Amino acid sequence: MNANVYSNILKQSMIPSLQRLGRRAVFQHDNNPKHNSKTTTALLKKLRVKDLCDELCLIDVMEDKLKGEVMDLQHGSLFCKTHKIVGEKDYSVTAHSKVVIITAGARQQEGESRLNLVKRNVDIFKFIIPQIVKYSPNAILLVVSNPVDILTYVAWKLSGFPRHRVIGSGTNLDSGRFRHLMGEKLHIHPSSCHAWVIGEHGDSSVPVWSGVNVAGVCLKALNPDIGTDADKEDWNKVHKMVVDSAYEVIKLKGYTSWAIGMSVADLVESLVKNLHKVHPVSTLVKGMHGVKDEVFLSVPCVLGNSGLTDIIQMTLKPEEEKQLIKSAETLWGVQKELTL
Amino acid sequence: MLITCWYLYISARSIIRQTFNMASILQKLITPLFSGTPEPPRNKVTVVGVGQVGMACAVSILLRELADELALVDVMEDKLKGEMMDLQHGSLFLKTPKIVAGKDYSVTANSRIVVVTAGVRQQEGESRLNLVQRNVNIFKHIVPQIVKHSPDCIIIVVSNPVDVLTYVTWKLSGLPKHRVIGSGTNLDSARFRYLMADKLGIHASSFNGWILGEHGDTSVPVWSGTNVAGVNLQTLNPDIGTDDDQENWKETHKQVVDSAYEVIKLKGYTNWAIGLSVADLTESLIRNMNRIHPVSTMVKGMYGIEDEVYLSLPCILNSGGVASVVNMTLTDDEIGQLKESADTLWGIQKDLTDV
Repeated sequence: MNANVYSNILKQSMIPSLQRLGRRAVFQHDNNPKHNSKTTTALLKKLRVKDLCDELCLIDVMEDKLKGEVMDLQHGSLFCKTHKIVGEKDYSVTAHSKVVIITAGARQQEGESRLNLVKRNVDIFKFIIPQIVKYSPNAILLVVSNPVDILTYVAWKLSGFPRHRVIGSGTNLDSGRFRHLMGEKLHIHPSSCHAWVIGEHGDSSVPVWSGVNVAGVCLKALNPDIGTDADKEDWNKVHKMVVDSAYEVIKLKGYTSWAIGMSVADLVESLVKNLHKVHPVSTLVKGMHGVKDEVFLSVPCVLGNSGLTDIIQMTLKPEEEKQLIKSAETLWGVQKELTL
Repeated sequence: MLITCWYLYISARSIIRQTFNMASILQKLITPLFSGTPEPPRNKVTVVGVGQVGMACAVSILLRELADELALVDVMEDKLKGEMMDLQHGSLFLKTPKIVAGKDYSVTANSRIVVVTAGVRQQEGESRLNLVQRNVNIFKHIVPQIVKHSPDCIIIVVSNPVDVLTYVTWKLSGLPKHRVIGSGTNLDSARFRYLMADKLGIHASSFNGWILGEHGDTSVPVWSGTNVAGVNLQTLNPDIGTDDDQENWKETHKQVVDSAYEVIKLKGYTNWAIGLSVADLTESLIRNMNRIHPVSTMVKGMYGIEDEVYLSLPCILNSGGVASVVNMTLTDDEIGQLKESADTLWGIQKDLTDV
């Protein structure tokens, strides 16, 4: 028995057992020299057996930028509670991830609509997704790259994951923006203004006016014209600002980052901490609200440890349902042209 | 004639009716109880400069929920507005209710803390001292305006070369020296603690070690103070930090000095680590914690330094600024290094014009 034989035993017997036990398992061995040998430690390091705490892993194709970012984050470790931050071009570092957040892809240029990005991003996904799946077969995929609804569909098809483990960041950000603007109009903190923007993350998102409320007081009851063109207070403008805000920020600073980052962190918190909170995220909506195609649109969903566990059935007006069906048709029109 | 008047009357009436029926949602929903002048912010933080470092500082401060108002200032108006909007769109997920921005410094009024990150950044391979005169000219414009609108603030200077620029800020602002702080070696110490802790397999916060002096190539690692759980590393290895050291721990300090250059070479700039470290300082200041940080402060009269220079020493920070300085026991060699840094810095400072 030497280090090599020991490593082989570990590879053949320990790894499958650990995979069955999941991330909670602990592997311990004593200080026998062959346990500490370079071969064994390299193997263990490679298989990420050592760590049982949370770990952040970054992946990109640009190696220098990646390494620079990882170093910069690591230098801040004193002020953080994430014990391990790694980053490499090779996907083996992502092994055993609980959540995989996909932001890779080309970004919207000034004036470019999200749908135009599709073909460019599908090719990138064809490279990324199979590698993620290979190393983290039990992960939850969270797709952020635009156009998010289509790319969530693409990720779902390419990964072969069940639909509760493929989520798009969807209208979580649009709803956040809407609630912020609503809060400004009413001089209340956004977290006390409740509103849901569902459907496509983009130009044809649907604000559900009947659900907009503060402290349970439905705004539509106070102003029946809300959201229509007859509305004197022009609340429609609030929704229009939400749709335009991405374009505006891109025009001013070149890209949007902070708000989407915070909204993704909000989603990841619900997933990792098993909160069962309701978020408007992009999921498969075939069969709901009259949608007949296999498309992903944002509806209020319950997020927990195992992913997207339930969907909240909203009572929508016929016009709102029509808008959803129309978005679905537009998305399907693009999706059926893709070769996956 | 009469009929025209009648029609005018009818239309005027309907307009007035419309205006009155336009009791808005706001009026129907909410009954105001108190509407005096709004209270001024108690924990306002201003960040001057919305480049990568400034935004990293801003976001770190927002995520730590330290401020009740955040103001951003810069000369590039579009970028500034874009950044402000992007942060505001995240307000659902934050506890800082007011985020403002403007080219005019009036938005910064009544700040408690002002973080100055404005200035030109180090190019690849360029040393920090080369940036001096370029940044002094920018500061001549910024600092008086900050002080005009927030006369009681504490200024944290981040722009490089931080020790010289903290001196410049102190001179230009006329503020007492305990209210002008340089981010100094807070970041170097954090990097040092991370790298040393990584070698030992522990978390950075469990490794205690201080880097003092100039934030830059001539920073001084105080090896006699390095310890884990009270166990002094120099007692375990008396050669630590010297060239005779078999384990070559000195290499770690070299890595700290080089790390900024390395990250800049790889990704073009550094921002996350400095942002997090500034948020850490801001927390001690705003929450009146009396924690000790290695920050850049006026050291004339200490360790035999006779010039008015700013160098990093362990300082106790609270809501008044630098409350006191901890007298670390340094070896003669370390004191010599500090004096040398002081001389270099004074050499540069005495040539600066209009300060």
